[in-house]
Amino acid sequence: MRVPGTQAGARRSGRRRSIGTAGPLEALLWLGPALVLILGVVVYPVIALVTSSFGEFSITGLRKGDAGLDNYAKFLTSDDLPKVIGNTVVWVGAVVLITLVLSLGLAQFLSKEFIGRRVVRWAVIVPWAAALVITSQLFRLMFDYYHGIINQLLLGLGLIREPVDWLGNPQFTMPSMIAVGVFVSIPFTAYLFLAGLNGIPDDVYEAASIDGARAWQVYTGITLPLLRPAILIGIVLNMIYVFNSFPIIWILNGSNPGYGNDTLITYMYKLAFRSADHDVGLSAAAGVFNVLLIMIAVAVYLRFVNWREEKRA
Amino acid sequence: MRRILRRGALVAGVAISAIALASCSAGSTDGDGGVESIKVVIAGYSPDHTPEFWNAFADTYEEQTGITLDLQIISWNDIDQQSSTMIQTGTPPDILNLNAYASYAADDLLYSADEVLSEDVAADIIPAFVTSGTYDGKFYGMPDLSSARALFYNKALFEQAGIDAPPTTWDEFVEDAKAITALGNGVVGYAQPLGPEEAQAELAIWLFNNGGDFKVDGAWTINSPENIETLEFLKSLSVEHGVTQNNPGSTNRSDGAFPLFQQGQAGMIVGFGPLQGALDTDFPDIDYGIAPMPSGNGAEPQTYGVTDYLMSFKKDGNKDAVTAFYDLYYSPDQVNTWIKSEGFLPVTTSGLAEFADDPSLSVYLDTLPNIHLTPTDDPEWDKVKLTIQQNIGLAVAPDGDPKAFLDDLQAQAEAGE
Repeated sequence: MRVPGTQAGARRSGRRRSIGTAGPLEALLWLGPALVLILGVVVYPVIALVTSSFGEFSITGLRKGDAGLDNYAKFLTSDDLPKVIGNTVVWVGAVVLITLVLSLGLAQFLSKEFIGRRVVRWAVIVPWAAALVITSQLFRLMFDYYHGIINQLLLGLGLIREPVDWLGNPQFTMPSMIAVGVFVSIPFTAYLFLAGLNGIPDDVYEAASIDGARAWQVYTGITLPLLRPAILIGIVLNMIYVFNSFPIIWILNGSNPGYGNDTLITYMYKLAFRSADHDVGLSAAAGVFNVLLIMIAVAVYLRFVNWREEKRA
Repeated sequence: MRRILRRGALVAGVAISAIALASCSAGSTDGDGGVESIKVVIAGYSPDHTPEFWNAFADTYEEQTGITLDLQIISWNDIDQQSSTMIQTGTPPDILNLNAYASYAADDLLYSADEVLSEDVAADIIPAFVTSGTYDGKFYGMPDLSSARALFYNKALFEQAGIDAPPTTWDEFVEDAKAITALGNGVVGYAQPLGPEEAQAELAIWLFNNGGDFKVDGAWTINSPENIETLEFLKSLSVEHGVTQNNPGSTNRSDGAFPLFQQGQAGMIVGFGPLQGALDTDFPDIDYGIAPMPSGNGAEPQTYGVTDYLMSFKKDGNKDAVTAFYDLYYSPDQVNTWIKSEGFLPVTTSGLAEFADDPSLSVYLDTLPNIHLTPTDDPEWDKVKLTIQQNIGLAVAPDGDPKAFLDDLQAQAEAGE
């Protein structure tokens, strides 16, 4: 794997030498559009977010003055925060883990030759291609207490006697949302693992079979270790992606009162525009907190799995 | 190779200047102090009528004044967020259509009627709406349209349950709702939307018809005995009597309660003009009647009304353009056409006269001048309303505590004064 990479690197540097170096001004012009984009889309919003978090805002959005650390203090001491953090941990943890397990199986299945594989592969990618808002809205209809197809189906099969309030009953709301979260996270993860599986050379498996290894031994001894980089990347990306996911929770939890099913992301939005606080500054403080939290979570995770070791190996 | 590089650099440079130019195209004041264009932000009441009316309005306005009307229609779901962002970034529109105005007036962002409303126009607006649009002695919140709520009932279900007339008292209401629920087949007596979408309306109409109010003579009365009784009654409908749909605290109006009534699955519901319009066009099989709300405590029946606002922001040189906007908007053939197309009620005395010959509206029109509104003239109401929307569903849940909820709400309102 490393050899082609090294060659490509050598080729690139060779070409650069033959052309000569661009002057600083010319380089700036080339980089300009990208820099403007980064400044406008990444740097400016970060500055605006941090500035807002130190401001005192009226309910109309008008900045009235400086708030110092008041917004942070108010956010960190709010009564709903522990519940919301708990929800976030459950949401991210459950979606990432369930997605991981199901995707491993699905990738294994998709890597085999069978009739209609192309169709199945396309079918798996569809949930990823559809906009999250649309998928969530569809699930909202499917989960509906009176007319939803899920209740109709379960009632028809005699599995339940009464309709289940999938989205309104606190017992079922989070599991229902997690199911949808897993559904939309699987395609990307499964394809990531599929690419990883395809990268494992056949001769390793041949050697194993000559040595008489059983299927489970092959899987735990060869497939999983060689798939480790893909799994690590899958977990990190899914953590960030699921943590920041807004539409699923916003739409499926849309008609529930209070903050009992909110994660940090939807809670942040409600603080700004739906709660009685209706406070942009408070919400910005929540936003800064969220960014720091996910950065720390990812750093801890990478530390825990020895990311650097992995790269060196 | 080098030439290609150069040309690329040129393209890149042009791209940068284009971005830079695009980002500073704001500001449209011409030489003599007047503006060349005004930005008008309108809430989307319905996907077809709203753009149709406002686009035509913009054309007429431009023809008459020579000022460009920069129209932006935003859905009710997003308008709060977008307007807040506009204020936050210092780029308010000239005219904003919203269901609240008092906080904006309190922040000193708005023109009052003295500055931008011609005398004829001001005199034509129904006094009840002038009162609700008045903050601190000045009229800031110009009503764009109004609606009144009443009890809609399904005549077929009433007949099946052997009920002759819609209920007039709360006791009758409960009896009727029980009789309809007893019909079975998933039919419920009363569709009760107490989810976050519009719960304050559901609370207000019941509360007014129990002799209660949110604010009396300038003092908050949210946790008055009548109001606690009202919310306990609303909770008992689902928890004790079981005559509502499943989980009212998690049911929104437009995607939860209305569909039940439209499909003939609910005996009664609090409705308004647009529901009437939808029933007449899309659900002709539903035979419904409209009646005044039943009252509790022997209280005088009240018509609960809602109005939204067209407020105008103080910006350099836009006063004349804004005045021209209101002059045109309140001319009878504009405002009444718009209100009719959306199925709402008039806000002007001349409009009352024009709508008077429509029999389907007589239920509301007679009571419109005495309509009972929520205290939208108090900026604190904007927050009280949000708390009701977000949390009332918890108070009416089986383990909810209506009294504690109203006590907290009272404390919140008083703390903000």
